Amino acid sequence: MISFEFSPQQKQIKELVHWFAKHEMRPIALEADRLGRVPDEWLKKVNKMGIQLNTSSFSGGRPLSHSEGKKEKKEREGNRVAVIAAEELAWGCPGIALSLPGPGLGGPPIQSSGTPEQKQRFLSIFTKEEPRWGAYALTEPEAGSDASGIRTTARKVDGGYILNGQKIFITNGARASWVVVFATVDPTLGRAGHRAFVVEKGTPGFSATRVVHKMGLRANETAELLFEDCFVPDEHLLGGEELYSANANQPSGFRVAMKTFDSTRPIVAAMAVGIARAAYEYTLDIVRSEYPKQGRLYYEAAALLAEAEQEINAARLLTWEAAWKADIGEPNAMEAAVCKAVAGNMALHVCAMCLELLGPVGLDGHLVEKLYRDVKVFDIFEGTQQIQRLVTARRLYAPYGVHV
Amino acid sequence: MISFQPTEEEQAFFQVARSLAVEKIRPAARECEKRRTVSADLIARVDELGLSALELPESWGGLELPLLSQALIWQGLSYGDLGVVQGLPGAGEASSLFRLSSEHRVWHRYREMAKGGRPTVAWIDEAGQKEPLKQAIRVRRRGSGYIVDGVSSPVRLASKADWAVIAARDEEEETVLLAFDERAWEIEEGDIRLGLLTSGIARLRFAEVYAGPEQLVARGSEAETLLHRVRARNQVIEAAKEVGLMEAALDYAVEYTAGRKAFDQEIAKFQGVSFTIAEMAFACRGAKLLVWQAAAAVDRGDEQADGCAWSALSRAHRSLRYVTDQAVQMLGGHGYVQEYPVEKWMRDAQAQVMLYGRETDWLIRRGEQLLGKRKERVAP
Repeated sequence: MISFEFSPQQKQIKELVHWFAKHEMRPIALEADRLGRVPDEWLKKVNKMGIQLNTSSFSGGRPLSHSEGKKEKKEREGNRVAVIAAEELAWGCPGIALSLPGPGLGGPPIQSSGTPEQKQRFLSIFTKEEPRWGAYALTEPEAGSDASGIRTTARKVDGGYILNGQKIFITNGARASWVVVFATVDPTLGRAGHRAFVVEKGTPGFSATRVVHKMGLRANETAELLFEDCFVPDEHLLGGEELYSANANQPSGFRVAMKTFDSTRPIVAAMAVGIARAAYEYTLDIVRSEYPKQGRLYYEAAALLAEAEQEINAARLLTWEAAWKADIGEPNAMEAAVCKAVAGNMALHVCAMCLELLGPVGLDGHLVEKLYRDVKVFDIFEGTQQIQRLVTARRLYAPYGVHV
Repeated sequence: MISFQPTEEEQAFFQVARSLAVEKIRPAARECEKRRTVSADLIARVDELGLSALELPESWGGLELPLLSQALIWQGLSYGDLGVVQGLPGAGEASSLFRLSSEHRVWHRYREMAKGGRPTVAWIDEAGQKEPLKQAIRVRRRGSGYIVDGVSSPVRLASKADWAVIAARDEEEETVLLAFDERAWEIEEGDIRLGLLTSGIARLRFAEVYAGPEQLVARGSEAETLLHRVRARNQVIEAAKEVGLMEAALDYAVEYTAGRKAFDQEIAKFQGVSFTIAEMAFACRGAKLLVWQAAAAVDRGDEQADGCAWSALSRAHRSLRYVTDQAVQMLGGHGYVQEYPVEKWMRDAQAQVMLYGRETDWLIRRGEQLLGKRKERVAP
């Protein structure tokens, strides 16, 4: 049945992560933005607590038993748990949230397409001993929204592949223990030539050339990566050779990349919701205590805040719907695109409305201006709002045989 | 557990409503609009399927469904044509009042009359949002009853009404809820040309009409509480209807733009078109989920259910105006002429949002509610 209630597990996760966001992330949020990094000691501390940004749940969460009539059913809820947690973490601070140790966006492709050995090897390194990161490298200087146009090459040689090319805008790219890298074995093959590799830090020929400075998310590291005759052994080809066989039923490297988006877009959307909610709640508090209690200013503020709440709510529900679909094992590309487009755009709008309510005072050391800078990229990475519109439109026109 | 899966019963109801909408309601919509009334066979079909008594109490022969189930059904029916749906005779917005006060002696006669088909009820609520341009209905105390005088705002089903229910404030500012079971009013049809022409929009004029104590449903805080609950239910139902219409407009625009060619290709291939279509889909989906959530909140008895309903209705209003306008835009000149349904849908949409409260008013009310409750301190 249609329900908007949390399961006990969802409720517990929400409360736990909210506590962490409020007491551990918020107090250092402005400082981390100013410094341009998250303090190492803090990262070690939270890693010991077992807090990670793990988006891998989209390959399925812990089965949950519940009775429905006389039939015992198992329902996965990992995706719903993941978006609930992501919203709370971003509410704490999105820059810090993306810097949390864990496989990050590199998790889902390994989880969904990796061989058992690869899953064991690459996903088992995330322990409480030492903070570690994974990363996901798709974007290139000449291939952003059009991921099919990647130019990083993978030349087959005895025992492996030689990678050459450049990747940009890679979250946690410089600190990552491994990076899922997309490359082409033959640019003339288009998408069919795509392969995904897991490249470990320290591999000869692989380097992080620089960390870029950004409008927001300053606490988080965004790196450029270079591959110069970088040898990657066969066993690092994600999913092994059979994944890329000519069999049309098998996903190509491009499909691996796209499938990852179906998993990660709801997470990113949930984070945008969390940022918007943070700005909204903060501003609601200030308006409540410092605005006049009646008159034009009060009613204008009330209407703006209600609009913000409504927009946040709608985006959250769309995000939950995408996660729910993934949990029940149904294709969710459309829902993932819709929630990502709506949430990214909505969050910027809400942050801007909140700044309008704060006025010039909001320029000086207030959280909301930082959130405004942070949030813009949520309408850009993991597919711009234009790409999400394209994905949505393609799905809508598919029944009519029109490819847009 | 968060879920977007309707129950099997809800799915079955929705399918019945959707089929009726596509096969019967939409093909008849233009003719109904021309005649300014819903055809008898459509009314009979809706009755046959039990869709005219979704909100009415079981003890009255109604289905008394949860609001969420009803939202799905109204969404399905309105996919055919909102004008027709709003013109269906029966209890209309008074259904929720009947449901919430089903044992009240005032309704005894309605129940008796209902045995031969359900009388149509005009719902005049002048005790809620203040309309700046409203010609008020005045209610004054007279002995143990009231004198009702004045002209109502235009309301749905008024030109067909057998009954009228009036919510107003008397001269002491006390809320009263009165029922009229005889046509103690004059109908002012006016000059309605915008939309929902099938729905019997008119004003009712009361000229010093006496309402005795036997016509009093509730007063004071009892009336306030009852009205509060009735309004929330009605707001969700109206918002659900709006979702049905916007979905119709979206689907129609998708089909049209997939087939229409210009510059040697389907116009869907131009991003100016396909992106607009995507935006329309975003608007529909967001509004729909807010409506479902509000319905669930009402069903649960959530203390914020009224606020959810205000928020859902204001969002539905905005999305409905946007989606129906864009549907006309996508069809270009064809959208503006009556050979295609979208011009009607845009007119109906605008009339609908005018009847059911201004977007900004709902937002301000919700905002005041939000500013009034404190959760946790998050700003320094």
